[in-house]
Amino acid sequence: MRQVTFILLIIGIVSGLISCLEETNPVFDENTFTKIYDNNLFNASYNPIDMVQTPDGGYLILAGRRLQESNFTGIYLMKADKQGNFVNAIEVEETFVNPIARLTFINNNYYFFCMDPLTLQAHIASTDANLSEVTISPVNGGLFYPCAAQLNSNSFILLSYDHIAKLSVLSLVSPDGNISQSQGFSIGTGETVEEPIINHFIRTGRQYPFDVGRVSGGAYYFNGFYNYTFSLVFTDLSDDTPNGVVQGIQDDGGFSAIQSLGGSKFTAARFNFGDNYLLPNVNLNTSGISSSVDLGGNTFPELESNTTVKIHRAVVNSKNVLVYGSNTRSKQIGLYFYDEANGTFLSSKYLGFSNPFEIAQVISTTDEGLAVCGLTYMAGRFPRICIIKLDKEQLAGI
Amino acid sequence: MIRFYALVFLVISFTALHGQPRKKAPSFNNPAQNPFGYFLEKQWWIGLKVGTNFVQIDPVKRYSAVSPTNYLSSETEKVYGEFDKTGSQATLEITFYYKGFSFSLQPAYRHSRFTYTNDYEWTDPENVNNRLELHYYQEQKVDHAEIPFIVKYDIIGNRLRPYVQLGAYYSFLINANKTVEVSGIDYASGGINEFTNEPVNVGAKDLFASNHWGLLGGIGANYNLGNVRLNLDIQYRMAMSLINSTENRFGNDRLSGIAEAMDDIKMNSISISIGCLFPMRFLASGFKTLDQR
Repeated sequence: MRQVTFILLIIGIVSGLISCLEETNPVFDENTFTKIYDNNLFNASYNPIDMVQTPDGGYLILAGRRLQESNFTGIYLMKADKQGNFVNAIEVEETFVNPIARLTFINNNYYFFCMDPLTLQAHIASTDANLSEVTISPVNGGLFYPCAAQLNSNSFILLSYDHIAKLSVLSLVSPDGNISQSQGFSIGTGETVEEPIINHFIRTGRQYPFDVGRVSGGAYYFNGFYNYTFSLVFTDLSDDTPNGVVQGIQDDGGFSAIQSLGGSKFTAARFNFGDNYLLPNVNLNTSGISSSVDLGGNTFPELESNTTVKIHRAVVNSKNVLVYGSNTRSKQIGLYFYDEANGTFLSSKYLGFSNPFEIAQVISTTDEGLAVCGLTYMAGRFPRICIIKLDKEQLAGI
Repeated sequence: MIRFYALVFLVISFTALHGQPRKKAPSFNNPAQNPFGYFLEKQWWIGLKVGTNFVQIDPVKRYSAVSPTNYLSSETEKVYGEFDKTGSQATLEITFYYKGFSFSLQPAYRHSRFTYTNDYEWTDPENVNNRLELHYYQEQKVDHAEIPFIVKYDIIGNRLRPYVQLGAYYSFLINANKTVEVSGIDYASGGINEFTNEPVNVGAKDLFASNHWGLLGGIGANYNLGNVRLNLDIQYRMAMSLINSTENRFGNDRLSGIAEAMDDIKMNSISISIGCLFPMRFLASGFKTLDQR
């Protein structure tokens, strides 16, 4: 009996010791990783725009790329597998430029908008999860300079800029490129009023946080130029006079990110002469004129001046959470977590070190984690796309 | 640290030798030579060994934070240095001898070092001056507490007793540090600009496995001197499990930010130790010993 007990004890100890050993584990490889997608060409330059997770667990990235023969940004699509390893990429020919977010999944295809660099006409492009090919066709109806797009049921809300009439144009576009509704809003008159917009497109000036969306079942909105000011404009698309406007201060103040939480409730971020404010829970006047300057918000001096802000609604630890992603002065990506129900600050997390990192998009993943797509500078100088994947254990403290 | 081990070893050796200077060296393990052979068929030995070790890394699966889009990942794979850095170890040996076989438990503190390098290059086919070369040199220092169990067999001899040994060990991680030094040549700055960045030093305990195990084999020799044994021991360790953490591979932002991620690796090593062993059972009065059994 004593011998049996001794043998069992030995077996137990050995089993315990063996269970503590490390083994190559593909699950760990999928759960957390940092991947930098390097190109060994000295002049190669990429700027990620959007990312989605594909049904196979991989990642599809829409990015811009530097073109030698054009001031516009070229189109680069890249696929990574679920462990973040590079699978394949497509450099779309230079006859199409200026890809914009969002990369949207409809009917087993991924859509985004871009434009013809000669005619400046907006085009709609699609590809599949494996990047088999990219199909690009014009948006029927003469839209120019696409600025931002968002899924709306099975169609898109598209903000574009009409450089002839100097209008910010909000349209509803089907996946086959047909416009069902469209309305233009004057940005103002004069030769210089469109200069910052054009500089945005040729990337010689500031990159504006153009955005579009819809209040659930209600008004459409766009974040763009209206009446000489970078403003948040609400409309039902029936009239060229907006239903409501939350004005900025020319292009020195306005929203840097906006999402509707239903009704008049929004989650937003705003900039004001370089300062940044996060407003996780704010009520906006969707009919009438108001000013974003009056909205206050949580100030973040650690963020870069007029920085990029991405807002993602996520479920973390069974809680509805607002994830703000932005760029810090220390060249890291800052993630700030707020309770969606009441806007209470929950936690923060900083990603990237040693080399500069900038955010492009943050998404939820099927394993209840988060994936952050960003830009980093290899060797401190070569702009390259990166993905930082966080698993739910890393988010456990939120 | 090596000096400390050497000093401890010398003090113990000197004390042991000096404390029993007039004893004729009994042949503890050769029953044919004395009437107490039956007694000398078994013996307990305890002692201390110190020495140095040299590591060889066996990459099981390659990883990198860099995923190349237009070149092969093998071009930037890590190249491991083989037996190029000296580590150290201090071992407490407890051995039971029985009829030529020794069963030995040798708990040890082991400090291992290993290095690897990898290289990146960016070029411009249209302008040869647009070129940057980067060289990453990474050194790991890992401390383990180790419990080996070894069976030795004395081949021949009396005063000088060479032996062969086989065994297994189980290691517990105590600490780990990592230093990354990035140097390079920048041809695009108007000349040949050779630079070396400040090294990145980080605590890397989370990047290594808490435990690992392996097999060992080796040779050695004991030299009977007075009542003690001087020992020279050479072991080769073959790791059977990974020494890195598979879960925390990208857990250090400072490292993943510079594109560093550890491979799945096993750590083999050669250890050379010298030591001094003391018998725990002594013979009766005729041999001035203590054992009265």
